[in-house]
Amino acid sequence: MKSKEEVKKVRTACPAHCGIDCCGILAHVKGDRVIKLEPADFPDRRDNRICLRGLNSLDITYHPDRLKYPMKRIGERGEGKFERISWDEAFNIIIEKFKKISERYGWKSIGWVLGGPGAGTTKFGAYLRLASLTQSTRVSAWGYGDAGLPCGSRVIFGSQFPYIYLFGKFWQRKWPDLLIVWGTNPGESAPLQTMRKILDAKETGTQVIVIDPRFTITASKADDYLSVKPGTDSALALGLMNIIFQKKHHDVEFIKLHTNGSYLVRIDNGKFLRGNDIEAKKAKAYVCWNESSNSPEIVRRSNIKSSKILGTFNVNGIECKTAFQMLLELAKEFPAEKVAEICGISKEKIIKLAERIGTSNSVTFFTYMGFTRTYHGDISLRGLATVASVTGNVATSFSSGYIPAVLNWDPFLKAIPDKPSFHRLGILNLYEAVISGKPYPIKALWFAFINFLNQCVDCNKIINKFFPKLDFIVQTELFMTPTARYADILLPVCSFLEFSDFLPHPYPYLQLQQRVIKPLYESKSDVRIVAELAEKLGFGDYFQGGEEGLIDLILDNPSLEGVNREILKDKALNLRELPEGSKFPLTFQTPSSKIEIYAEQLVADGQALPVYLEPLETPLNPEGKKYQLGFIQGHSRFRTHSMFANVDSLLKLNPEPIVEINPIDAKNRKIFDDDMVTVVNDRARTILKARISESVKPGVVNITEGWWIDQFKEGSVNHLTHDVINPVQEKVYEPNMHMNDVAVDIIKKREG
Amino acid sequence: MSKRLGMAIDQERCIGCEACSVACRLENETDLLWIKVETQGGVEKDTPSGTHPNLTMNFLPRLCNHCDNPPCVEVCPVDALIKQKDGPVILDKDLCTGCKACITECPYNIISFNEKSNLAEKCNLCVHRINQGVEPFCVICCEGQALFFGDLNDPNSKISQLISSRNTFQILSEKGTDPCVYYCPPKPKMNL
Repeated sequence: MKSKEEVKKVRTACPAHCGIDCCGILAHVKGDRVIKLEPADFPDRRDNRICLRGLNSLDITYHPDRLKYPMKRIGERGEGKFERISWDEAFNIIIEKFKKISERYGWKSIGWVLGGPGAGTTKFGAYLRLASLTQSTRVSAWGYGDAGLPCGSRVIFGSQFPYIYLFGKFWQRKWPDLLIVWGTNPGESAPLQTMRKILDAKETGTQVIVIDPRFTITASKADDYLSVKPGTDSALALGLMNIIFQKKHHDVEFIKLHTNGSYLVRIDNGKFLRGNDIEAKKAKAYVCWNESSNSPEIVRRSNIKSSKILGTFNVNGIECKTAFQMLLELAKEFPAEKVAEICGISKEKIIKLAERIGTSNSVTFFTYMGFTRTYHGDISLRGLATVASVTGNVATSFSSGYIPAVLNWDPFLKAIPDKPSFHRLGILNLYEAVISGKPYPIKALWFAFINFLNQCVDCNKIINKFFPKLDFIVQTELFMTPTARYADILLPVCSFLEFSDFLPHPYPYLQLQQRVIKPLYESKSDVRIVAELAEKLGFGDYFQGGEEGLIDLILDNPSLEGVNREILKDKALNLRELPEGSKFPLTFQTPSSKIEIYAEQLVADGQALPVYLEPLETPLNPEGKKYQLGFIQGHSRFRTHSMFANVDSLLKLNPEPIVEINPIDAKNRKIFDDDMVTVVNDRARTILKARISESVKPGVVNITEGWWIDQFKEGSVNHLTHDVINPVQEKVYEPNMHMNDVAVDIIKKREG
Repeated sequence: MSKRLGMAIDQERCIGCEACSVACRLENETDLLWIKVETQGGVEKDTPSGTHPNLTMNFLPRLCNHCDNPPCVEVCPVDALIKQKDGPVILDKDLCTGCKACITECPYNIISFNEKSNLAEKCNLCVHRINQGVEPFCVICCEGQALFFGDLNDPNSKISQLISSRNTFQILSEKGTDPCVYYCPPKPKMNL
């Protein structure tokens, strides 16, 4: 009888992959059990997809190790000894602790550490809303690897992300002549939204170039590969620009119209010449040199085309140069030979690439977070974006395609309009806030969708100096992760098949992550947990309707007119489509409203231009150094960060952590394939198996990130990383963790 | 003309992700790898050949070749293996005795032995899906969209068009097995 039960199919979507891939999933349900997942339809069937991790999601949902009920710690922190409690008891303990701590130190001392919510919106929003209502601290997790790119993007484009400018058109399947994939490995980290499209583009004749310290799967698909030393990308960018400028391949009109390249910069202080310097009425306006009148003029839309982009000028006794002149002079300091030496790339390839960029009709520059996880990674992004800008390969408007959705975030970011909201602390700043109380003390932390200890830098510091300073730790989790072991209260959450959320991904779609089955065991969704806690704190009114209520709230924006839960139940919707031939301008929220190839705000830091500054630890010239290898952490297709690391079916294909080392470096250290080795620096030692591989550049070693600490014989990837703050990033936005800027060495582990 | 169902695998698009292996295992409820993705490059999985940075690496998903002249069918003493007229070589678990004759005979070393059931196992080209008019599960789950299924005898099918537009090869074609699985090797690189 049971086996005859009808199989129901429910459309949902996988939120695991940081919002980029976000596969549509058709869940087959028999009774109350999901028996199978398959790719769901998208309006464009070419977008039907599910990755190997998503395929295995049932192994997460039905994993025997799932946390099944709330627990409180009974052993030492980290020991993993817990006792089952009821939800009521858990909430009572939390409320009591929060009251005590807030009475003594203020609500500000209670922090919500919200990790990567994947593509999720309301599960993230719920915490923001409660943080806003209680005026506690939202710990921003951009800084655990993803703040470098926004730092750079904010400076040059005035936008959190550079994506729409650099490859929005690529996502719309408008293939360029040349595609440069720089410092990212979408073949493993974004196989569907990105890699599949790269393969499509290649099929139509796009030439694909990969720049990376590793010969990745993406590199193996490319037409050519440039192997770059980690952290030297801005030197490469300047070297490319130097050749482009010498050969006059730069796009003069684009530079004039869309960048601040023709604005005059004062040599004496590096600031822009302003209206008041030439006694103009518009005192704060920028000034350019007009070619026709041969005189300085206030920058206007009407005269910018007649401005000079090159030259040194004397304006009322003030020596000035155009911003582009300054960029050109900086680039001149990076001839191909020198760049070849710095970056470890052949001079010929650098010249050829520059010529291809300069002479191609259209070039798309593709990057994500990888190369920005170096100490000056924000400048690496600016370097790449500057090459794109001076060659006119940045989108300034769309004439067709789909317009990204604007979500109604206001009620989450500021729950009560006329009251102050939450305090904000970057995750790297959290270290000092907890350890030494600066800029203010944090006494309690709530971790949600984050494996903090596993994925953040310098594990020993977290274990020995950070956790002991906290009065109270709550974690919502699916499993007993390395971080969960340190929680005082551990709350079981649902897998994605057990709750609903709204997902505005992948471009150009909107999807509903629809609850397929009831929460298993005693688990609850993060939204439910927050809503119940809020109720007990007297804020229940703000979470009416639970998950569905919050989805309705976040959809409440004119850009999402006609989009609702009901419509999204059976299908993904397209974003709003532009009529062919219309013009949708992409604006730049920079001080000048232009692409800032010269950033006045960073003059005092010596970073007004995308200068090349050496990486912090990566040993570019290893001779005589204590630790002679640069350590980087690539992504693995078998995990999404630390998710899926405990799934048996994936472990069968990829059983244990390995460190990839080039044969030259292995030989020098008498290391053979499969040897157990110790990766070491002053912070820690990590023991694992060696894989001798030509895929890594000599001088570079790679361990893919996301393996759980328990999966190493000793240490882990982030035992080796550091928490050094780049003050410029802190000033611009938020300091990033520099997981790909770490010096190590490797020694063969002796027997016994 | 009768149908000749088969697969074409475009190595240009294969990113070696092994989603096909995983999809196959889930669809067919097996612990064994009926599809194995081999790295063509270094000795170990996911490693290239050559010297950094002059490297090459390709991926070769290997599965039952559904040969037109299948040696496994020839040797199976109990007719557990049959060659369907429309292409697939089917192994019937209910008839298999686990004698391993097919495993020894298969030149592709692609028939697995299940130590738990003591029976042979292999790809059946998702015949249960084909019969319902849907493609094999590995095909719809392929991340790179490198797998193509269809009628090799229909010149208008996507698979035939791919094969006619590209260089192709069959594995060990010299053995005279005439596989229904075709491979399109990677295209030449447009170096800088």
